[in-house]
Amino acid sequence: MSITDLTSRAEAQVAERKEINERLQKLQEEVSDFCYQCAKCTSGCEAHKLLELEPHKIVALLKRGLIDEMINSDMIWTCMSCFKCKERCPQKVAPVNILFTLKNLAVASGKQVPGDFTAMLQSAMGIGLIQDIQTVPTRAGETKTREQAGLPPCSKPKDPAKFQQTIMTVAMEKV
Amino acid sequence: MTKYALYPGCLMPTEQYGYEVSMRSTLPLLGVELVDLEGFSCCGEPLKSINQMLTLTLSARNLAICEKEGLDILIPCPMCHLALSETKKILREDPKMKERINSKLAGEGLVYKGTSKLFHVIDLLHDVIGLDAIKEKVVKPLSDLNFATHYGCHLFRPSELGRPVDSENPQKMENILEVLGAKADDYAEKLDCCGGPLLPVHPETSLTKTGQKLQSIQEQGFSGMALSCPWCHKMYDSKQKKAGETVGAKLNVPVLYLTQLIGLAFGVEEDKLALDLNLSPVEKVLEGDQGVGS
Repeated sequence: MSITDLTSRAEAQVAERKEINERLQKLQEEVSDFCYQCAKCTSGCEAHKLLELEPHKIVALLKRGLIDEMINSDMIWTCMSCFKCKERCPQKVAPVNILFTLKNLAVASGKQVPGDFTAMLQSAMGIGLIQDIQTVPTRAGETKTREQAGLPPCSKPKDPAKFQQTIMTVAMEKV
Repeated sequence: MTKYALYPGCLMPTEQYGYEVSMRSTLPLLGVELVDLEGFSCCGEPLKSINQMLTLTLSARNLAICEKEGLDILIPCPMCHLALSETKKILREDPKMKERINSKLAGEGLVYKGTSKLFHVIDLLHDVIGLDAIKEKVVKPLSDLNFATHYGCHLFRPSELGRPVDSENPQKMENILEVLGAKADDYAEKLDCCGGPLLPVHPETSLTKTGQKLQSIQEQGFSGMALSCPWCHKMYDSKQKKAGETVGAKLNVPVLYLTQLIGLAFGVEEDKLALDLNLSPVEKVLEGDQGVGS
C-alpha cells in the first residue's frame, strides 16, 4: 500500500477501527462515571469562541454513544489541543483525548482527512519530518538557507526505506 | 560542560533557525554542550489527530536514539516535549505496549528503554543552570523593557504528565527575564493558545487567535513578546502581518525567542543570534534598550 492509499483510505481499516473503538469504549465508561456536565471545559475552550466547539457536549454525545454522528462532523477537527479542558476538569475527564480518538476513528473509517494534515503525513513518511528544510526570509527582504544561518546539517532518518517500513507497519497494523 | 542530546523536532531545524542559532550561541556560555545526533524524525505529535499509535512509535524511536548515547535530552519545542514525555509515561505504565513498540523499532536496530531525562530550554535554564549563574553572565542588562511572556500550551499542560512549568501561574520565564534586567508583567491572555495547531485545518481562525493576543499585548504597552516555542514563534513573528490583516489591526509587536534575549544580555553579537530572521519589528527593542545593539 502506498502513502497515497494510506492517507486517502479508500477502504475502512477494520482492525484499526476495532482498536480505536476499544479506546473509545474505555473513555465512554470513564465519562459516564465522572462527567456531570458542569461545562467548565467549554467555558475555557480556545476553540469555543471562534468555532463553537463545546467539549461538554462532545462528552455528552459520547455518553450516549453517538459516535458516528461525531466522526461525520467537522466539529471534531476544530480542537486546538491546548489541553485547557483536561487541565481544568474537576472530574479529571479529558475531552481533548476523546477528540483525538474520534479523529483517529474518522481517519480509520475512511473519512477525508481535512486541510494540510495529508501533506504533513506524507512528508513525515517520506523524509521523516513534517516539512523539508526551508529557505527563510530575512527582515531586510533577503533570504537565508539553513547553512547560511550557520547551522549544521539537519538530522533526518539515516535509512529512509527502513524508516518508512517502521511507520508503515504502525499505520497499517492489524491488531 | 554538561552534555545533552539536542532533539530538534521538525519546525525548528526546517524553518525556525533563529531559535536554533541563538540556543547554540547562548547555552554553551552556561556550561551546556549540545550533542547533535543523526537519524531523528518527527515526534509524531502533529500527526496525533491522524493516528495516535504513530505518535507513540515516532516518539519512542527518537528517545531510543538518545538513549543509545546514554544522554539526557534537550527538547526546545514544547510540542515535542509533550509527545516524548507522554510516550515515556505510557510505555512505563504499559509493558505490553512497550514490547509492541520495540518490535517495530527493531527494524532500525533501536530499543526503547526509558532511561533518558527530558528537559526543555526553560527548565534547563531555570532549574538546572539556575538564575544566579545566568545573572553572572549579564553584561548588557535589558533595562526599561517589559515583555509579555508566551510559553506554548504544551509546556504547562497537561500538568498531570509533569510539565516543566506551572500550569496556571508559570513564572520561570519571568524570573529569567528579571535576572536579565527586564520586566515581565503578567497579563490576562498569558495562558492562551497561539492558534497554531489549527493552522492545517482552519487557517483564518488560527490567525485570528494569533492576532487577538498580539493586539491585546500591543494595547497593554508591552515592549515585546518573549517566547520559547517554535510553533508560537511562527504564528506571532513569521505570520504577524497576516494575523494583523485577519483581525483588522496594524500590529507592531517585536517577538523574540528567550534565547535571543539572553544572548543580547550576555553581549553576544547580533548575527550569532540570527536577529535578522525575526520578521516582527525587533529593532524597536534593540534601539529602545540603550547599549544593546546600538
